[in-house]
Amino acid sequence: MLEVQDLWAGYGDVAVVRGVSLRVAEGEATAVLGPNGAGKTTLFRALVGLVRPRRGSVRFEGRSLEGLRPHQVVRQGIAYVAAERELFPQLTVLENLELGAYARPDGLRERLAAVFDLFPRLAERKSQRAGTLSGGEQQMLAIARALMGRPKLLLLDEPSTGLAPRLVAELYRRLDLLRHQGVTILLAEQQVGAALSLCSRVYVLKNGSLAFEGDSSELRGSSHLHSAYLGGS
Amino acid sequence: MGVILDGLVLGLQLALLSVGIVFVYGLGGVLNLAHGQVAVAGGLVAALLVQARQHPAVAGLVGVLAAGLLALGMDRTLLQPAYRRRGEERLLLALILTLGASFALDGFYTFRYPNLALSLRLAKPSVEVLGITVRTASLAVGALSLATFGLLLAFLKGTRLGKAIRCVIQNEAGAWLCGVDVDRARTVTLFLSGLLAGVAAVGQGFFSFLGPDMGPEFTILSLIVAVVGGVRSLTGTFLASLLLGVVNAALSYWVGTYLTWIALLAVAVATLLVRPEGLLAYWP
Repeated sequence: MLEVQDLWAGYGDVAVVRGVSLRVAEGEATAVLGPNGAGKTTLFRALVGLVRPRRGSVRFEGRSLEGLRPHQVVRQGIAYVAAERELFPQLTVLENLELGAYARPDGLRERLAAVFDLFPRLAERKSQRAGTLSGGEQQMLAIARALMGRPKLLLLDEPSTGLAPRLVAELYRRLDLLRHQGVTILLAEQQVGAALSLCSRVYVLKNGSLAFEGDSSELRGSSHLHSAYLGGS
Repeated sequence: MGVILDGLVLGLQLALLSVGIVFVYGLGGVLNLAHGQVAVAGGLVAALLVQARQHPAVAGLVGVLAAGLLALGMDRTLLQPAYRRRGEERLLLALILTLGASFALDGFYTFRYPNLALSLRLAKPSVEVLGITVRTASLAVGALSLATFGLLLAFLKGTRLGKAIRCVIQNEAGAWLCGVDVDRARTVTLFLSGLLAGVAAVGQGFFSFLGPDMGPEFTILSLIVAVVGGVRSLTGTFLASLLLGVVNAALSYWVGTYLTWIALLAVAVATLLVRPEGLLAYWP
């Protein structure tokens, strides 16, 4: 579904992502693991057009995404949930969700019902301002807002950041549910255990390049990868 | 009493000018120092049309549109290099570019049209309302400003593009990720800021008169309002405009224009010292 070939991206003179190639198969959950500063966020930002790649190609459903601005990438069916969540703090939960459907406003009511079904807490907080939500609720809202645009591919950047372990487990149960509903997921994580519970395919980034690619069972088995690139889990 | 009313109307005029500058700053990270000159362009175009014996209403409308188009043109040409940069770099480059544009426009206006002025007079100079005499111009300009704000609010709250503009102000990256074309929202906002400035200039023509050299004054007034009201807050801007309008009118009446300027700048400096985020900020 998503094919990345030899992607280079960065800021100013610094290349942060150096020649990454990866594929995401439809209906699967794929993880990009790696420590802070490995280039995960820059990779995602380059995929959605927030950073312009220097070199390489990104193809989604066979079409090249080259030169597309972020709002055009969204319209192709790729939603990006940034680690910073990028909510509209002064707007209510409901208004945030409505804006999530900005590119595809049809069927708004059914979409709302579906995300409230997935995250019942958001229904309770409907008319509260997004800025007043707890960290876990904000993460749910960010994911729910992304789902409002009916994405085929959901990019999640460090969804567990700032969440208590209990909330991380709950979040990953919801993500698993989403995957079963047919949403393809590409996930960047530092919490290896959580990511491996969801994802069947794994890439490990180190200093902007791939250090490992394979099935999650392979990575689980190889202890040296854990200690070398992730410092254990 | 008449002074207070004049002050409120002046405040509404100020709000028309300042909302534009604040909007463009909030949305584009650009402080447009040629904002006053954009307003004057609208006034001068209207004045030229009045000279050519066009109906004042037509002249006013075309003038407003001209100001909008000038701002739009600045967005499409002058500001493009600034948009390619981010944060402080963008702000600084845009300051220099728009400052340059303001000098160029001022020079053009005063060189080409040194004696042109927009001065629209209503048939009946004053009316009695509830026992007090008020200028019809004040009422007309007040109504014009309020109607303009009504339209602006309806656009921001009621239309898709308006909602998109509100969300870009709060979070640019978030807006991109929701599928909003932020570049387009920015261009529309510059156009709107020009239209609002044009309405203010035409209103000025009714209220007293508008001359070719009034650009810097307009820019500085709207900057003072932005400082006092909080550069991120539309409601703050609105309230600050009304407050400064009344203060301005009252001081001009009792102590004279020159001291009024000093007082307004003193208010801005005091605000920066006491509450740098804006005296009246934090109204959403």
